[in-house]
Amino acid sequence: MATAATVPTAPVAEALPPAPGRAPRRAPRGLVVGAIAVAVPMALPLAYLAVVVAQDASLAWDTIWRDQTLRLLLRSSALAVAVTLSAVALALPLSWLVTRTDLPGRRVWTVLTTLPLVIPSYIGAYLMVSALGPHGLVQDLLAEPFGVERLPSIYGFFGAWLVLTLFTYPLVLLTVRATLARLDPQLEEAARGMGRSGWSTYRTVVLPQLMPAIGAGGLLVALYVLSDFGAVSILRFDSFTRVIYASYRASFDRIGAASLAALLVAAMFVVLWLEGRTRRRFAYYRTAPGAARRPQHVRLGPWRWPALAFCATVALLALVVPVSVLVYWSLQSVAGDPNWSEISSAAVDSVTAAGLAAAIAAVCAIPVAMLAARYPSRLAAVIERVTFTGYALPHIVVALTLVFFGTRVALPLYQTLAMLVFAFVVLLLPLAVGATRASLLQVSPRLEEAARSVGRGPLAVLRTITAPLAAGGVAAGAALVFLTAVKELPATLVLAPIGFETLSTEIWTATSVGFYERGAIPSLVLLVISAPPLYLLTTRHQP
Amino acid sequence: MTLADPPTDRATLASTADRDVALRCTGVRKSYGPVRAVDGVDLEVEAGAICALLGPSGCGKTTMLRLIGGFERPDAGEIEIAGSAVAGARTFVPPQRRRVGMVFQDYALFPHFDVAGNVAYALGRKAAPGRVAEVLRLVGLESLGDRYPNELSGGQQQRVALARALAPTPKTILLDEPFSNLDAGLRARVRQETREILLAAGVTAVFVTHDQEEALSLADVVAVMRDGRVVQAGTPEHVYGRPSDHWVAGFLGDAVVLRGEAHDGSVTCELGRFAADGSFAGPVDVLIRPESISLSTMPGRQDTQEAVVLHREFYGHDQLVTVRLESGTEVRSRSIAFPAWHPGDQVRLAVDGPVNVLQVALR
Amino acid sequence: MPMQMPRKSALLFAATALCALALASCGGNDDSGSGTITVYSGRSEELIGPLVSRYEARSGNDVEVRYGDTAELASTILEEDDKSPADVFFSQDAGALGALEKEGLLAQLPADVVDDVDPRYRSRAGRWVATSARARVVAYNRDRVKRSELPRSILDFTDERWKGRIGWAPTNGSFQAFVTALRLLKGEDAARKWLEGIVANDPEVFDDNEPIRDALGKGELDVGFINHYYVAQARAKEGAEYPVEVYFPPGGDPGSLVNVAGIGILESSDQQEEAERFTRFMHSREAQEHFARDVKEYPVAAGVAADRRLVPLERIQQPRLDLSNLDDLRGTLKLIQESGAL
Repeated sequence: MATAATVPTAPVAEALPPAPGRAPRRAPRGLVVGAIAVAVPMALPLAYLAVVVAQDASLAWDTIWRDQTLRLLLRSSALAVAVTLSAVALALPLSWLVTRTDLPGRRVWTVLTTLPLVIPSYIGAYLMVSALGPHGLVQDLLAEPFGVERLPSIYGFFGAWLVLTLFTYPLVLLTVRATLARLDPQLEEAARGMGRSGWSTYRTVVLPQLMPAIGAGGLLVALYVLSDFGAVSILRFDSFTRVIYASYRASFDRIGAASLAALLVAAMFVVLWLEGRTRRRFAYYRTAPGAARRPQHVRLGPWRWPALAFCATVALLALVVPVSVLVYWSLQSVAGDPNWSEISSAAVDSVTAAGLAAAIAAVCAIPVAMLAARYPSRLAAVIERVTFTGYALPHIVVALTLVFFGTRVALPLYQTLAMLVFAFVVLLLPLAVGATRASLLQVSPRLEEAARSVGRGPLAVLRTITAPLAAGGVAAGAALVFLTAVKELPATLVLAPIGFETLSTEIWTATSVGFYERGAIPSLVLLVISAPPLYLLTTRHQP
Repeated sequence: MTLADPPTDRATLASTADRDVALRCTGVRKSYGPVRAVDGVDLEVEAGAICALLGPSGCGKTTMLRLIGGFERPDAGEIEIAGSAVAGARTFVPPQRRRVGMVFQDYALFPHFDVAGNVAYALGRKAAPGRVAEVLRLVGLESLGDRYPNELSGGQQQRVALARALAPTPKTILLDEPFSNLDAGLRARVRQETREILLAAGVTAVFVTHDQEEALSLADVVAVMRDGRVVQAGTPEHVYGRPSDHWVAGFLGDAVVLRGEAHDGSVTCELGRFAADGSFAGPVDVLIRPESISLSTMPGRQDTQEAVVLHREFYGHDQLVTVRLESGTEVRSRSIAFPAWHPGDQVRLAVDGPVNVLQVALR
Repeated sequence: MPMQMPRKSALLFAATALCALALASCGGNDDSGSGTITVYSGRSEELIGPLVSRYEARSGNDVEVRYGDTAELASTILEEDDKSPADVFFSQDAGALGALEKEGLLAQLPADVVDDVDPRYRSRAGRWVATSARARVVAYNRDRVKRSELPRSILDFTDERWKGRIGWAPTNGSFQAFVTALRLLKGEDAARKWLEGIVANDPEVFDDNEPIRDALGKGELDVGFINHYYVAQARAKEGAEYPVEVYFPPGGDPGSLVNVAGIGILESSDQQEEAERFTRFMHSREAQEHFARDVKEYPVAAGVAADRRLVPLERIQQPRLDLSNLDDLRGTLKLIQESGAL
């Protein structure tokens, strides 16, 4: 049975050129209204920034033009580019190995290589520093027998690059793997038949088809790196977000911070534009009838060992090391009689908030994704890009947006669970839109036309044909939102109802006074509850 | 030079008064930006007839089909189905209300329903019991109801698509290159079966194809399209035997074209003198199909020419021989493969079939 | 299976709608009983949690505490303006309180609370007041450094003789407050020179005070710039054998900066009386002894003694400074970054 893809993908750049008889039609008004209704609340951070900056425009302007601002923006951009490139460089061979070769234990590797996604990057950064830092566990282990005085510094650009790559590459891996699994092998067979070597075929036939997936995953990675604060501050990398946070922390300068955040939004549009260039213009759905033939698996032979070593190294660094540190600390903490009831109620609260956010995001994503997939146009592109605003901004900015509007416009809802869930949706909607859109693109519009030709109205077609076929993507989007919402921290601290503790806030409480061991058990619980949605994401495509 | 619907063609479709017109298109236009996909099409199809829209890719035939189905809106013109307007200046009926069945080029079978489910879907909630089975029997798939589309062969998928389109007993059914995805060997047989199914169901059918063999063998009416217009419409015999211009002639089949001189109801060319329509006069082009040219070694007939065989192509059931006349003109002849001709043979050439006269094509 | 979809999706929709309704009523800032106050606290739950419970038991009223980062909470209050649900702001440092005061968000505190505290440890206008104090110190390992070797001023640690022997935490808030004080007291140039000089001495960089203290205790480091109570807490655990001591550079040197954690009541609060009662409780003997005994900070209420083993607050020769003015850390951060410390 054909099922849809899981991939989060990125927005449409512009209307497709009309093929005879296949021109984009005008979208039904109801759909456009629905999509706009979703986009408007997502644009609240933009409104907030505009209002705050307007309070003192000259200060805002000066802030942007300080040397430090542009220098740090370049630094953060450089980090974003580096991390994106290395994440892609990791994801491409990994996806190939688990999809197209006879690597032993493919199923296991598929899950293991995607698992790092459940580790929040700030926890991951801290664990890596604990393991690999100057006073870290690994150095302690190595000091005695090997006399290793100091490991290469985990701090600074190198550390930030390494840690962020390890914890974000699964975003690219997910999109690329799903696309790779659906490629028509005939094209590659044609190339081989023309005498091209394996590598040449990959470069000239496979890679171009993977470009949209690479662009989609790379977009998420780049925006994540630009907006991240937790990891880079632990790793002492001087980033653009640090200036934003410093403005809040050090000088309570909301106007300066808002102007910097506005700059970040501008950077976001640049990144989105770049990604739009990777989109391809022909159809994703199969037009030839019959089932696609499965591609032949490449035999690795003696290459099996280096391949396994490669997968193992990635899994070791990104998964085994951090989790081992956590387990080690958890065991130490268990001795100190942890407060299990507190942890379990925090777990319930985490799951509740994240689950509601996932469900609502999945529903809200549908009109936006339908518009982008079925009726591409300038409006659809604008709507989709606007929904990325929350994702690209540091969470504190989105939190303050809702503080601002919450206290002025919706006071009864302020600091309720509803507002927190809304914040999560603003922050994470692009994850749901991308996955939904990708699976909609896999559903041929001919199917919808066939349903119309037998007398079903547009709503009935949506319900009976489009929705069931795209359901896989919607579920994947919800899973991705859940995974990310469950580890969110800054917005939770500011907006959650008092007494509503999530696992992230528990971890933060413990670690903010230096009791890192005490934060280990909630961290492990966090990883455990993230595992089922991740499993859902990874097992949708098993070639 | 193109001719849209010369009066003679209309006449062959019988007089308008008591005919039951299932589909009528008048002056339909559709553009995509600067591209004029459909540029003023007039078409009439009688109830129960099978009409082929034939033309090369890019001629607008698929667009025309989609306009009839309601999947595109015309920029100008009117479309009437069973007497009521479905598209026009002030009307547009969406596809789900047109009661027109559609078979897509790639069949568009719903992958999440089995065969019976696909057909049942077309019937909606008001399905009469046994209708699904009835329709499947009509297309010969009654035992495959619980298979899924990806478990069927191409031919079987095509039949499911047909069954699904026919299930709600539409008056009209549209088919978009319905045989192009089938193996060549299968195609002929499936074509005939499809024709029988359509006739048995009593529906009016309009199908789109670029394959002239398909159009000629299947349709009651062929409408030849080029650059968004219908350049000739008529029975298969008519468009094949009496093409209205060089292009149609060449598109419908192989053609030998010779310069000739016409006056007084006859035309003279290198291969002889033949009867012609009185309206032609002066220099004209004479069009002869290769199967009208026969070769023999027998002397005697008055109207034969001497020629020498240049080369011969063998097709199993026939042969195509290229010969050179004394004047140097090369001509092709198609006949059964026996007697077999060889390059260098001296032959006598005669015209035994219909001859067409056309205006000289503008260079 | 697909045929059931319509019913399933309708159920799902209904369930979602119900959830949404339930959500809206979850939480919210309804005062669940008169006398309930809301506190935004930058001090951790670990630290003041027990005090809050005791207050609740004592007064019979509820206290709802939102724990968070001092600066983020202050920014939140600034954004919330007069709609803020908070009644009390408990801050980790004076700078945040100063910032709120400058925006006119803090209410005048009652005279008895204000007068109870040394004027250095409250806002001049009496709109915020300290609850405890902490001192910057030079901590040193007495087995590796003799007290007589230590220079008179913290500025002298740029001398070459201290190369490779110093530990500091440039990202730490207290350190940054110290640098701000340095800028205010000695001027920008002196502050820059000091930072660059220390950087040239190849210091070991930590991201918090605690690891510095631990390194000192293990003998991996000779001196460190931290807060006083870290050493006191460790000594209380390890005993008199603990080798780390504290040194207060004398003469009003910036190295002996005393900063405070404090409380302010929001002007917009409609629970002024309760909030005042809460503030008074934080100055009560009970609360102050908690700070003194359990956290090893300096109490600020008159009549409450600090831990005996600490150098008495009065004996520390603090620099003269209005602590409210420590709210502009932007220039400090710039300086720290430019000097290469970060």
